Amino acid sequence: MRIVHYLNQFFAGIGGEDRAETPPGARAGAVGPGRALQQLLAGEAEIAGTVFCGDGLVADGPDAVVPEIVALIGRFAPDVVVAGPAFDAGRYGLACARVCAAVIERLGIPVLAAMAPDNAAVEIYRREVLIVPTTVTALGMKAALAAMARLALRLGRDETLGPAAVEGYLPRGRRMNARAPAPASERALELLLARLDGRPFTSEVPLPRYERIPPPPPVADPARMRLALVTECGLVPSGNPDRLEWVRASKWLTYSLDGKQNLARGDYEVAHGGYDAAFAVEDPDRLVPVDAVRELVRRGEIGEVLDAYYVTCGNHGILSQMATHAREIAADLRRQHVDSVLLVAT
Amino acid sequence: MPAIRGEEAATKRLKGPAHRRPAVVADYGEVGESPVRLWGTVHLELASFPVRRARLGGRAGYDGGVLTIDADVVRGLVLRDPRIAEVRLELAHPGDSARVLRALDAIEPLHKPEGPVRAFPGFLGPPHTAGHGQTHRLDGFTVVQVTEFPFPASGVQAFEEGVIEMSGPGAAYSGCADRVNLLLVLTPGRAASNVDYDDAVRRAALRVADHLAALTVGHPAGHVEIFDHGGDDGGRRRVVWVHQVRAQGPMVQSFLYGHEISGMLPTVLDPNELLDGALVGANYKTGSKTPTCIHTRHPSLLALAARHGRELHFAGVIVSRGHHENEFLKERSAHFVAKLATLLRADGALCTYEATGNTHVDFMLTVQALERAGIPTASVVHEYGGPLGEDPPLVDVVPEAVALASSGGIDRRLTLPAVERAIGGDHLAHRGEPARGPLDLPIQELYAATAAMNARGVVAVEY
Repeated sequence: MRIVHYLNQFFAGIGGEDRAETPPGARAGAVGPGRALQQLLAGEAEIAGTVFCGDGLVADGPDAVVPEIVALIGRFAPDVVVAGPAFDAGRYGLACARVCAAVIERLGIPVLAAMAPDNAAVEIYRREVLIVPTTVTALGMKAALAAMARLALRLGRDETLGPAAVEGYLPRGRRMNARAPAPASERALELLLARLDGRPFTSEVPLPRYERIPPPPPVADPARMRLALVTECGLVPSGNPDRLEWVRASKWLTYSLDGKQNLARGDYEVAHGGYDAAFAVEDPDRLVPVDAVRELVRRGEIGEVLDAYYVTCGNHGILSQMATHAREIAADLRRQHVDSVLLVAT
Repeated sequence: MPAIRGEEAATKRLKGPAHRRPAVVADYGEVGESPVRLWGTVHLELASFPVRRARLGGRAGYDGGVLTIDADVVRGLVLRDPRIAEVRLELAHPGDSARVLRALDAIEPLHKPEGPVRAFPGFLGPPHTAGHGQTHRLDGFTVVQVTEFPFPASGVQAFEEGVIEMSGPGAAYSGCADRVNLLLVLTPGRAASNVDYDDAVRRAALRVADHLAALTVGHPAGHVEIFDHGGDDGGRRRVVWVHQVRAQGPMVQSFLYGHEISGMLPTVLDPNELLDGALVGANYKTGSKTPTCIHTRHPSLLALAARHGRELHFAGVIVSRGHHENEFLKERSAHFVAKLATLLRADGALCTYEATGNTHVDFMLTVQALERAGIPTASVVHEYGGPLGEDPPLVDVVPEAVALASSGGIDRRLTLPAVERAIGGDHLAHRGEPARGPLDLPIQELYAATAAMNARGVVAVEY
């Protein structure tokens, strides 16, 4: 098994902050902390080469220098690439993560970086780059290298990694199912008793942080706006010709309103499992208010209405998929010069 | 006239004019005087009779783990109600290469041999307080309603598919896959509406459940548990279980002592009442439902009861409703829960909830209200997060939700192989695939997946 080790100018023995502009370079075999790493690999793998670069160059001009670093790495024909440990050094951590991400993209071989969990690069790259947690300072070098050696060998053997807490890497933002020894109710009761006793406890579910979306400012001049009707209500023509899913919709659709003054009963149905749609089946305008907006246009209170409505189904919507739908719909509306949207939620 | 119950009831009613009655309001006979004090002695002897095999035909009876079902008696109990036209009986055992479709509620049979209070009070007997005396239970056996509805419906009133995968990778996540199931495959009769038919289906299945559990009378139990949470707390920490159940209207509802709970304020129950069937599930949302067999044997109740009198004092169950229509009603309910917990002098609250996004908001507000009332909580949550678990796992959070146990991610996908036998239809109701063919679906399309995942110790962990 061949490993290439990436280091910054300091750990490569070239110099400190004053040499942060050191250009990319390579040496055969292990250098600096790589020598201890080589011992920990215990003959199962060899550090074929070490590639290094000044942190300043990678931090400030990655587009120029990272491809060069990757090319140097590629020349050693590695099975695995390891980077760091960078501890809490911000620019070094970023350099390790950027190099690793580029290796995955360009060379398609497994990578492993090591740095402190609070290093800013972790939050940006943990989803794509496998990262071993380290202490804040180089005092934890020995433990960091041991963890790197263990995981590098597993990657090199093409083994499937288990959960982050078991394998000793930082969570990559994926939560998969496993088996616990007791029902969730019993584990929750354990958490409660720990709280009541004042014992330490760890919640099994980190509280997610949601993106806050500020409401847009009011439409300045409704009489001149070009409005579109967009909704997650699942209203589709009878027979659901495009098979919009009634849960976890994989698509959004658009249906013509050309020539329609309202939506006639019987012409539409609801593909949405989350609310009682009887009121809408009776009068589809209650969901997509074509009758009302046509009337407002006639009265001159709003400018014009796009002759189509956009629809998906929000029931059990997968957040990332819904965000994709929204971006695509927004781009489509832009192309049609729509400047305002009536968004009907259910 | 003595109380009518079990098989005797079936026979009598088959002969009588009962089947000509219109919609059934109260499905029980006269209630006799009882020497048993109705309330105050919340002492329940729950006798479990394990069922390892069931068979159809022959004389009905229970013998050493084998349940023999007299199909004619069961048919009689079901078809007493003209709102049901036909019933076919099928059995599904764990490990069978079988897939059940269109499964609604699943009931673990209970029977109270002494009376006058009946199991599933409010349905099989008057809505008198249960939870004391003796109860017989068919352990590991369920009566499952399998049917379509007579009238077209859309939106939430269109029932979701309930898929029980009896073997293969889906069985680990399917409710009832680890049980012996009697499937009542029903055909609608003269029901006026889907709601009317749903009522008929529920009552029929409860009648059958009571009849089957009554077959154990006179037989030695596999084991007997004593549930008694009364008495002084002895200075132990007082813990309540907040059991939020779902009520969104027909097809997505729950019944407490025979009445649906959409208008209910949070209320307090002795745990034993649940063991006797005070809560009956009628939520047909596939993956996130709590079927009756879970309400009568909830892992939260069992966990608290096991530690009662030792590490804690089980101070009661607060049953609340999920899926209030707006923020105002959600807040109102949340604060009632916190108030009841305070009145019960709770030191802590174990919180669980049934179902999905909207109800999750009710739940988080309840956690917040409890915490702000000075009552620490720990909760069970199931997770979303998309097929790879990369999206946020929860729909809504409050900063006070600091102690959460995960019952696993229900958006993760499974690939299921073809099966030899399908019960309940020849294709999946909404997905359209052939019933016996291979399937690729998210876990939450399997029957009662969230409840099964809690009980079986599924947990989502970081990768």
